[in-house]
Amino acid sequence: MRAQEVLEALQGKLGGRIRNLEIKAETVGYRRPREREFIWAEIDRGDLPDAVRTLKELAPLHISIISGADAGDRIELIYHFGVGYGTETGEVMVNFRLAVPKDDPKVPSLCDILPGAETTEREKLEFLGVEFEGIPDARKLFLPDELEIHPWRKDEPDLAKYVRRTVAWEEKKDEGKGEA
Amino acid sequence: MSGLNALWQAILVLVGGGVVGFLYKGLDRKLAARLQGRIGPPLRQPVLDVIKLLLKENIVPRTAIPWLFQAAPFLAFITAVTALLYLPIGSLAPVLHGYGDLVLLLYLLAIPALAMAMGGFASGSPYAVVGAQREIVMMMSYEFPLAIAAVGIAWRLATLGIGPSFSLATIAANPLWGLVGPLGWIGLLFLFVALLAVTPAELSKIPFDIPEAETEIAGGLFVEYSGVNLALFYLADVIKTLVIAGLVVALFIPYGLAVPLGITGVGGQVLDILFFLVKLFGVVFFAVTVVRVAFARLKVDQVVRLYLLPTTLLALAGLLLLVLDKVVMGG
Amino acid sequence: MREKVKPEEKTEELTKACPTCFEVPIGPIHPALKEGIRFTFWIEGERIRKVDIRPGFMHRGIEFMGTKRNLIQVLYLAERICGICSISHPLAIVQAVEQAAGIEVPPRAQYIRVIIGELERIHSHLLWAGVAAHELGFDTLLHYVWKVREPVLDILEDLTGNRIDYAIPIYGGVRRDVPPEKYPKLKDALRYYRSLVDDFVNFFLRDPSIEARTRGVGVLTSEEADSLCAVGPTARASGLRKDVRQDWPYFAYPDLEVKALTPEDMGLEVRGDVYDRIVVRLLEVVQSIELIEQCLEEMPEGEITAFPKVAALLAHLKKAEGEGVGRHEAPRGEVIHYIRLEAGEEAPAVWKVKAPTYSNLMPWYPMFRDQEIADIPIVAASIDPCICCMERVQIVCDGKAETLLKDELLRLSWAKTERVASRVTRQVSPGRGG
Repeated sequence: MRAQEVLEALQGKLGGRIRNLEIKAETVGYRRPREREFIWAEIDRGDLPDAVRTLKELAPLHISIISGADAGDRIELIYHFGVGYGTETGEVMVNFRLAVPKDDPKVPSLCDILPGAETTEREKLEFLGVEFEGIPDARKLFLPDELEIHPWRKDEPDLAKYVRRTVAWEEKKDEGKGEA
Repeated sequence: MSGLNALWQAILVLVGGGVVGFLYKGLDRKLAARLQGRIGPPLRQPVLDVIKLLLKENIVPRTAIPWLFQAAPFLAFITAVTALLYLPIGSLAPVLHGYGDLVLLLYLLAIPALAMAMGGFASGSPYAVVGAQREIVMMMSYEFPLAIAAVGIAWRLATLGIGPSFSLATIAANPLWGLVGPLGWIGLLFLFVALLAVTPAELSKIPFDIPEAETEIAGGLFVEYSGVNLALFYLADVIKTLVIAGLVVALFIPYGLAVPLGITGVGGQVLDILFFLVKLFGVVFFAVTVVRVAFARLKVDQVVRLYLLPTTLLALAGLLLLVLDKVVMGG
Repeated sequence: MREKVKPEEKTEELTKACPTCFEVPIGPIHPALKEGIRFTFWIEGERIRKVDIRPGFMHRGIEFMGTKRNLIQVLYLAERICGICSISHPLAIVQAVEQAAGIEVPPRAQYIRVIIGELERIHSHLLWAGVAAHELGFDTLLHYVWKVREPVLDILEDLTGNRIDYAIPIYGGVRRDVPPEKYPKLKDALRYYRSLVDDFVNFFLRDPSIEARTRGVGVLTSEEADSLCAVGPTARASGLRKDVRQDWPYFAYPDLEVKALTPEDMGLEVRGDVYDRIVVRLLEVVQSIELIEQCLEEMPEGEITAFPKVAALLAHLKKAEGEGVGRHEAPRGEVIHYIRLEAGEEAPAVWKVKAPTYSNLMPWYPMFRDQEIADIPIVAASIDPCICCMERVQIVCDGKAETLLKDELLRLSWAKTERVASRVTRQVSPGRGG
């Protein structure tokens, strides 16, 4: 699998809606050097399922992780895919950047195309408050169920205060039990 | 036998049994450790364990049925101890000789397991319930070969005109190996192997420790037990190990040293008791220690398949050979 | 404001799906689990009908902490994500940072990284083999395997100074050389492990009781492994030739021409069960031995780091701007680190870590399908889970709040102990009389 093939397939499907395309190639190794390639691109969140379907038709697809960061009025998600992971012809890393506005944090879920994406989507849901439409299981994964905040959001009001509040509440609950 | 005499004997056997039981438990742990390339605990460790447990708090979970939960360990301990009193030791007849026979002993051996299952069901923990179910399933599968082995021997003795053939003292006094022909000899060997195969299951030791299965159900039956109750189960296990090994010795290797060496009197009896202890240790070492070091834990269906097919078939083949032997030898 | 998902609803739904089942919780504290994670099983007789997995008991907030520290500190923090594959996370983060900051690494350093990484793979797989044997109730094998694991830890200590947490990689190279006078000792250890391979095959693959407990247990088909994005030995045991070292080479791995191994390489049919996972790990121990030997032969002379002075490195990193992705094939599978650096900042702006168990979480569901209770420990262990690797994040506020929290937690913990103690005595006393 070569980056150029992946790119052509993506452009064929999405056309001009795929922006800031960048192919990075690196040579690794010394005696028997090999080249490895990345694609970095920006797409709209609505185009994500189409793009992933295109990749999946092309070669065995692996989702490594979704990285995320709070970028002010929006949340930036980066999907890291391994296209052709586990094939003889080698792999291309495809990284999609998505901007998700904070007032409408919705992204289509990939779970119907790639069930393995559930773990990382649930994590983004609890840490960044991104809602994945169509995710089969929207419970929290790593954080306590009672927690109502998204700790990776930089504008999260009173994060520190909230922690103390949780603890104080627990103490109260336990006291109640003791009296009963 | 006067009542008082029997009482003294019983106390002696129980104290001696306790000491030997703890010693063998310690040896079992030490030798298993050496076989695994570890140093292992000191010999007195089982005693220390029990002392510690006796000092600990006895917790009854809220979800348990308290009386049943509390009664199970006592029942297990008492039956195990009673069973010990039915065991011939060396050339001495059992303390309770005349008050019950081999069949009673088999029942007494089943009760501790049943008590454990009862306690497990009563403790209200899902782990204990799973453990209790497994204990019952396992019992149903190993009791059959065990019964065949015991009954086969008693029956053959009866056909030889030696009686009362179900009395353990009679069985111990008349080793069958010399009384049967070659077919019977092979049959006895089969029964011996079957009984040895049942031994680790009776004692819930690896590979048949499924009712406890530490890594699966966190101790299963015993998960809710603590303090004195757990100590009683531990003691029951210590005593039961002796009883099972004693049963194997009485049924299959009841030979003494005193008669062949021509030593009589107290010296002969002491020698026989010592030899009996050596034989007991041999059984514990080969049927429990070595086996539990050499195998992985089986699953409940695998245990059932193992006992209901090969072991039962082996025992039945042994019985059949004894019957054929009777036909050939003319009994 | 935000929609709340009720976790109880899912539990109720699962309970309703199997009315004849009873619920068995395994974890967060259970002898089968070496780390805290909660499985809830719905069991019918001895069969598992439904399973629910809830991680989240081992959070430390490492990613958050990382964005408050300078990059060198982050490296040591990354080393502490996992205690067993302690080199995997540093090896991934150095790649990410080197890519982001444009640092060239001298070849010798890349070979040394491979050597340490592969030694770690040997010790990790041996550790796993012992744990797996223990889960099967085969403690003899546990003691044996952990005994023969000691020499590789001794070698690691000899090369790096530590048995665990080697602190060897640094951005731009490695911190310690592997000098030629240490080769003989290393080669001896490799020869020792080579001589043990036959024993391992006998003890693990030809043992009837192990075969009875692992064949056909915890099956993950290759389609499931592919769609659920399994990684590492878990994926390879299902017949997928996925290996970062082969597909997306890094360090000196392209020179060594690593191939992903599946049970087919041992002439076995791929079934994707626990047995196959043992086979793959054994094959990889042999592979690691070969790779290290090859490294020792081919290792070029030269510098071991691009920045001999840490101050120069820090200055370079502070100026750097960009983003990078680093991947490493840890003993358990793919590790990926994403990092974004901003000029003028010592701390990374974004740091995302993915440990192998994270990807292998979803494949657990099909593995547990219709298994028996007795299979739970070995199936859970078969992916070689590293829970605290997987869960790095916890809500941690700025330093001040954290300290406050700690004190308060400690105080609360004492108070709770007292309460629990009083409750226990109250509850127990009526039982004593009976």
